[in-house]
Amino acid sequence: MTATLTPTRTVAPVARRASWFAQTGEVCRRWVVDTVRQPWGLGVSVLQPLVWIVLFGNVFESVATVPGFGADDYLTFLVPGILMMTVLYSGAWAGTGFIDDIRSGVMDRLLTSPVHRSALVVGQLVQQLLLTAVQGVIVLAIAWAAGARFDGGVVGLAVALGASLLLAASFCSLSAAVALLARDQTALIGISTTIVLPATFVSTALMPPALLPAWVESAARFNPLTWATEVARTAMSTDVDWTLVGTRSALLAVLAVLVAAWSVAAMRTYQRSL
Amino acid sequence: MPIRPPAVEAVDLVKTYPGGRGRPDVRALDGLTLTVPAGTVHGLLGPNGAGKSTTTKILTTLSRATSGTARVVGQDVVVDADAVRRSIGYVSQGTGADPLLSPRENLVMAARLRGSSRSAAADRAAALVDRFGLGDAGDRRTGGLSGGTRRKLDVALGLVDAPRVLFLDEPTTGLDPEARASMWDEIRRLAGEDALTVLLTTHYLEEADRLADGLSIVDRGRVVVAGTPDELKATLVGDTLTVDLVEPDADAVRAAVARVLTDVVVHVEGPTGRLVARTPDGPAVVGATIAALQAAGVRHGAVAVSRPTLDDVYLRYAGRSWSDSSPARPTGSSTDRSASAAPARTTSGASGGRSTSGSSAVPAGRDTDGASAADGRDAREVTR
Repeated sequence: MTATLTPTRTVAPVARRASWFAQTGEVCRRWVVDTVRQPWGLGVSVLQPLVWIVLFGNVFESVATVPGFGADDYLTFLVPGILMMTVLYSGAWAGTGFIDDIRSGVMDRLLTSPVHRSALVVGQLVQQLLLTAVQGVIVLAIAWAAGARFDGGVVGLAVALGASLLLAASFCSLSAAVALLARDQTALIGISTTIVLPATFVSTALMPPALLPAWVESAARFNPLTWATEVARTAMSTDVDWTLVGTRSALLAVLAVLVAAWSVAAMRTYQRSL
Repeated sequence: MPIRPPAVEAVDLVKTYPGGRGRPDVRALDGLTLTVPAGTVHGLLGPNGAGKSTTTKILTTLSRATSGTARVVGQDVVVDADAVRRSIGYVSQGTGADPLLSPRENLVMAARLRGSSRSAAADRAAALVDRFGLGDAGDRRTGGLSGGTRRKLDVALGLVDAPRVLFLDEPTTGLDPEARASMWDEIRRLAGEDALTVLLTTHYLEEADRLADGLSIVDRGRVVVAGTPDELKATLVGDTLTVDLVEPDADAVRAAVARVLTDVVVHVEGPTGRLVARTPDGPAVVGATIAALQAAGVRHGAVAVSRPTLDDVYLRYAGRSWSDSSPARPTGSSTDRSASAAPARTTSGASGGRSTSGSSAVPAGRDTDGASAADGRDAREVTR
C-alpha cells in the first residue's frame, strides 16, 4: 500500500525513471485529453476543410475545362490540396499548447521533473499527428460524400494520409519551435499565418503547375506543400507514379526530422533563457 | 544518528539577465550564499525582486547560475541535474496544473512521468487527493476550482514523488486569509514529516515567522542576515511600547513622558494619534508611562508592549523599511510613519490635547482618516 505518504520515501525514487517511451506516451495522452475537452478546436478544424471543399469546389469548378488542366473533375483534383491545407491551418496552432504551459507554470514543473526534454516535444508532436490523421480521414470522407472519387483505392488513400502526416510533422514542429522561441501567442499566430497563406498559393494545391505563372511554378517546386500534394494526387489516381511518391516522401521525411530536431533544440534554448 | 549533509548548499550564486536593447545587464543574484539543514523549514524572506525566485529556479535546476555552485541533497544542480530532479518537488509561483485535467488526472500524470506504474500512480493520486482534502474537487476540472484549492493541488503535485526537498515559491501569494491559514496548516504538517526539507520563499513577514525554523533575509540578490526568527529578533535589544492617543498634542505628550521614555515618536493622524517608544524593558515602564500621561491630562486608549518583529529585523539588516522596499503600498513602518506624517499636524492640533476626561469616543466618521496608518501592518501583506 502506498496510501501513507512518508514511508514511500525510503523506497526512494533513486534508480527508478520512466522510460523515454513511457514519458512520451504520457505527454501525448495529456494533450489528447486536452484536445478532446476543447470540442471547439476540433469542430473548427473539421468545419474548415468542409467550407473549402464546398467553396473552392464550386467557385473553381469551371477551371477543369480550361485547356491544359489535365483532369476532368476539379473536386477530385482539389481533395489532396485541401487535405494538405488542413494540415497547415490546424498545425499552425500546434505550438500554442507550449505557450499556455509556459504562461501557467506547467512548463516550469515539467522542466524540474526528471523528464526527457525531447519527450515533452515528441509527445506533443505524436498527439498532433494523431489529430492530423483523424482530420484527414474526415476530410476524405466529406470529399467522397461531395462527389470526389478516389481511383487509387485504399492504398492510394493510405499513401495520401501518410504524406499528410509527414507534412504535419514538419509544420507542427515548426509551430512548436517558434512558440518556444517567441513565447508569445500573437507572434506565433502572426508568423504562422504569414507562412501559411502564401504557401497555399505558391503550390500546386489549388492549381496544376501548367496553369501557374512561370515564377510561381518554379517556386512551388520547393514548397513542401507541393511535395505532399503531388504524392497524394498521384497515389489517388489510376496511374500511380511511384518514383514521385518515393522521392517526394523522402524529401518530406528529411524535412520532418530536421524541423523536429530544431523544435527539441528550441526547448533547450527556452530553458537556457530562464 | 549519522550527521546528514545539508539539504541545500548554495555558494556565491550570481545570476545576470541580459538587459536587452543596450541596457545594462540585470544582476538578479549578487553572491547569494545559503545553507539549509536537512529536515527543516527554511524561509527566504525578502521583497519582490530581491532574488528569492531566481534562487529557487537555480536550486530546482530550472535555471542556471551565471557563477557560483549549488548542491541539493549533495548533488550538484548542474552536473547531476537529473539526480536533483528526482529528489525534489517544485511549486512555482504560477500553477503547475493543467486546467483541463482534474486534480486526480494531474497527479496521475505527474506520477507516471516520474516512472510510477499505472496502479502506483493511481494510489498515490488518491492518497494526495485525500490528504489535501480535495475530495469532490478531485475529479472536477482544475480550471474551475478556487484559488486555494488549486494552490493545494500545486503543493500536492510537488509531493507526488515523495521528494526529499520541497521548494515552495510564494505558496500563499494571492490567497484570501482563510485559504492562507489553511495552506499554513498544510505546510506545518509537511514540516512535521520525517526527513522532508522545505525551502519556502515569501514576502510575508508573518508567514516566515510562523512557518520557518530558519530564515535568510534576502535583499538585492544577497542574504543580508540568517538565523532562526527568534535569534534574529533577539539581535534587536528591547521592546516597542505603543500607546493609542485621543486628540493628542504631540509636544505635550513628549513633554509628559520625557522622564520615563527616551526614544519616543508621537504620530498624529486626525483626532487619533499614537505614541511609539523603544525601551530596553517594556513591561517595567508601562505603569510609569500611563501615570505620566494621566498626570499631564493626555487622553489615551490601548497600551501595548511588543517584542521586536521581523519587520524591525529587516529594517535593521536591509537598511530600509520592509514596506519601503515593497513596491505596492508605500506605508511606512512604525518609526518612518511618525516621522513623515506627524509634522503637519503637531502645530495645528495644539488646542486639542488638554482635556482631562479619561477617554472620549472618537467620531466614527473621522476614524477612516487614521485607518490607513493603523492598518499599516495588514497593508504590508498586500504587495502584489
